[in-house]
Amino acid sequence: MTSTLKGITLKGSAELVAEFFSFGINSILYQRGIYPPETFTRITHYDMSLQLTTDPKLKNYLTNVVSQLKEWLFECTVQKLVLVITCLETSEVLERWQFDIECDKSAKESREKSIKTIQDEIRSVIRQITATITFLPLLETPCAFDLLVYTDKDLLVPDKWEESGPNIINQSEEVRLRSFTTSIHKVNSMVAYKRTDSV
Amino acid sequence: MDLDDDTSVLSTLKSFNSFISLPEHPQRPSDHSATGSGILHNQYKRSMELLEAAEKVQSKNRYLQLDQEKKRMEMSHKRARFELERAVSDNARDLEHEVDRNQDLVGRIKKLEGRETDAAKNLCEQVEASRALRKNLDGLNKKIDERDSRLNTANQTISSMKDEIRELKQQMQNKDSTISAQTLENQELQEQLDLQRRKYQEVSQLCQSLQAAESSCSEHVIKIKELERRLAFQEEDIAIVKTVKLEVARLPDLEKELKRLRDDNAFLRESRENCSLLKEEVEGLRRKLERMEKTKEELVNMELEKERLAEKLKAWENLGQSTGLNIRKPDDLSREVIQIQQREIALKEQNYSLNSRVRSVERSQAELRAELSQQRSRTMEEQKKREAQDALVRRLQKRILLLTKERDGMRAILESYDSELAPTEYSPQLSKRLREAEDILQKTQNHNAEMETQLTKAQEETGTLKLQLHTVEMELERLKKQQASVADSSSLTTKEEVGILRQKIEDLEAERQRLEEQNNILEMRLERHNLQGDYDPVKTRVLHLKMNPTSVAKQQRQQEVDALREEVTHLRELVRSLQDGGALVHSQDESSLHGSSLGLSLPPSKEVLDLRKQMESSELRNQRLKEVFQRKIQEFRTVCYVLTGYQIDITTENQYRLASVYAEHMDDSLLFKKGSSGSMQLMETEFSKTLGEMVALHLHHQKSIPAFLSAVTLDLFSRQTTL
Repeated sequence: MTSTLKGITLKGSAELVAEFFSFGINSILYQRGIYPPETFTRITHYDMSLQLTTDPKLKNYLTNVVSQLKEWLFECTVQKLVLVITCLETSEVLERWQFDIECDKSAKESREKSIKTIQDEIRSVIRQITATITFLPLLETPCAFDLLVYTDKDLLVPDKWEESGPNIINQSEEVRLRSFTTSIHKVNSMVAYKRTDSV
Repeated sequence: MDLDDDTSVLSTLKSFNSFISLPEHPQRPSDHSATGSGILHNQYKRSMELLEAAEKVQSKNRYLQLDQEKKRMEMSHKRARFELERAVSDNARDLEHEVDRNQDLVGRIKKLEGRETDAAKNLCEQVEASRALRKNLDGLNKKIDERDSRLNTANQTISSMKDEIRELKQQMQNKDSTISAQTLENQELQEQLDLQRRKYQEVSQLCQSLQAAESSCSEHVIKIKELERRLAFQEEDIAIVKTVKLEVARLPDLEKELKRLRDDNAFLRESRENCSLLKEEVEGLRRKLERMEKTKEELVNMELEKERLAEKLKAWENLGQSTGLNIRKPDDLSREVIQIQQREIALKEQNYSLNSRVRSVERSQAELRAELSQQRSRTMEEQKKREAQDALVRRLQKRILLLTKERDGMRAILESYDSELAPTEYSPQLSKRLREAEDILQKTQNHNAEMETQLTKAQEETGTLKLQLHTVEMELERLKKQQASVADSSSLTTKEEVGILRQKIEDLEAERQRLEEQNNILEMRLERHNLQGDYDPVKTRVLHLKMNPTSVAKQQRQQEVDALREEVTHLRELVRSLQDGGALVHSQDESSLHGSSLGLSLPPSKEVLDLRKQMESSELRNQRLKEVFQRKIQEFRTVCYVLTGYQIDITTENQYRLASVYAEHMDDSLLFKKGSSGSMQLMETEFSKTLGEMVALHLHHQKSIPAFLSAVTLDLFSRQTTL
């Protein structure tokens, strides 16, 4: 999605952030083994190789969420995106990948920031996500994931979406990861996981 | 008429031509003689007259032509009229004809209409009749149908009755057969009874022999028990030997395992050491990581400080430009600062000295002011005295003037009186006047004195008032001085206030620091909560898709669990059913499977189901076949009965009972037995005893059973018909 214009508009920024989320979520699912690795194919993006799922149901779900997220990013009404990993047997939350989104609402014209810089930042974030897997505890039980979106209270809830709880882990360790900014949207990433000695 | 007209026309033409030709002759000769113009004129006149005549003739001709035409036209008109009248008359006649015809046609139409109405009425009547007929037809049809149905029902009842009759006949036959079978059975049982009795006798004999044998048996049994005990011991020994053999056989395996375990142990020990080393390394790396992180933080802080310092430096460097001094290095700055400080010190010294001077000056000023005030008061008093004295002096001078005036006046009077004295004796008058004048003088003097006293009072009052004014002014000045002095003293009080304010500032600063620390702690906590995912419910809302993978996975899990539970219950029921079935089997067989628990192994359900299906299908098939066979057998038997005249029943194995259609009694029957060689033999019955001749003839001589049977039937038939 490299635009030939130098400036970043609100729409372009929303698209970049949504694209990052799509690839980021795919790589997290691959790395944590939520879905079997044979259902992923390798593709090249941001000058690095990433894994993308081929499961049609999962693809459909992700496109639905990401397209709605793009709208909300354009309207600057979304505050956070959270990927929650729950254990199926005990129904308790094991991991929580949280992405805070800060939107500069005063951006009416396009801002000057090169796409290359943004892509470098995104690449470093995804690399860091991959690196954090080394110290996260193993997920031994079968798990499922869910995507939560923190939005403004007065937003109209579209159909097919419903309110849910924050799914917070009790007794969690948090690690703050890198952030990247498109000069209109700033995305901070962090991961929270359940402490292993308390499991 | 035309000829007349033509002739008139011709005659006029002739006359005209003659008229024209006449003047031509006289014209020629007249031309030569008469004068030109008169002749011409006459000629002209004549030509004109001729022309007119010609025109008249022409018009007459025309008129005549027109008349002729008119007459012709009239003729033609008349003819036309005639013709038209004829045509009219013809038309009138035709019209009349037509009218007549019309009337005829109208009459016909009316008749036809009448006929039509009649026909319509007939039609209606016929339609109604047809409807009535149809109704009758329908009624009749219904009746016919009813009758048909009744017939059908009757037929059906007839057929059912026939069937019932047939069935009853068949039942009767079956019963007969069963009765015969049972009688045969009875005979057989009796035979068996005899056999049993014989057996009982034998058995009693055997019992006796048995008892003898039992005693021997008991002895044998004891021997057998001893042998069994020995066998048991030997079996135990065998078992022990087997176990020992097994253990011995296991020895090499154990040795191998031992070796392997030792190797594993050694390896694990090594790996443990490696593990410990790795753990130490990991710890070392972690510490390094921590240190690195700290150094990173420090780096970041340092960078921030560096930036700040750089900014400061820039500010410092810009100072030179901003202040306008000649500063390029910090030495210059320090020099400048020192210079400024020195200047400051000098100024301060100056200040202090000036202050001390000022204070001394102020003191002297105060003293001088006090002296000034005193001097002023004194001067004021003296001024007043002076003024008072001036006023006195003025008064005295005025008095003096008045007195001098009075003296002068008195002198003048006296002089006058002196001048006037001589003439008269007015000494008493003079004395009176003198006295009056003195009185008046005294009064005036008193009045003057009073006035003067009043004046002096007024002057004293003004003097006192002026004094008061002056004193008040002095007091004002004194107050102003006091205020100045008070201002000095108030500076002291402000110093106290400053001290209080400074203490307040310090307290506030301490509180601020405390609040800052609290703020930091709260921010940390908020950050922590934010990391954990907390949110403010007033401002934010958490949304997710209804069809998300977690819920889908949970549903699937739930479904799997439910399916598994159902399967488990189903299997438990199966097991229970099989256990019960197995228990029934056990109780029936009384086999040695009591000791073992469920000796049955559950076959897989698919096979069971398949087998059951096969079984059911085969059972169905069997049933159907049985039915078919029964039917066929029944048919065949009935056909045989009908055609041959004998009902053939199988009583026991290889015994056949034949009953004839024309049998006189129900019990009359022939018994045939199938021998081992396959040949049929007639058995003795009561009925066969009556047929001895036929038996001898057909069976013994002719050796033909069909002939015999047919002879029997013929004989019975003959008997039947005759009877």
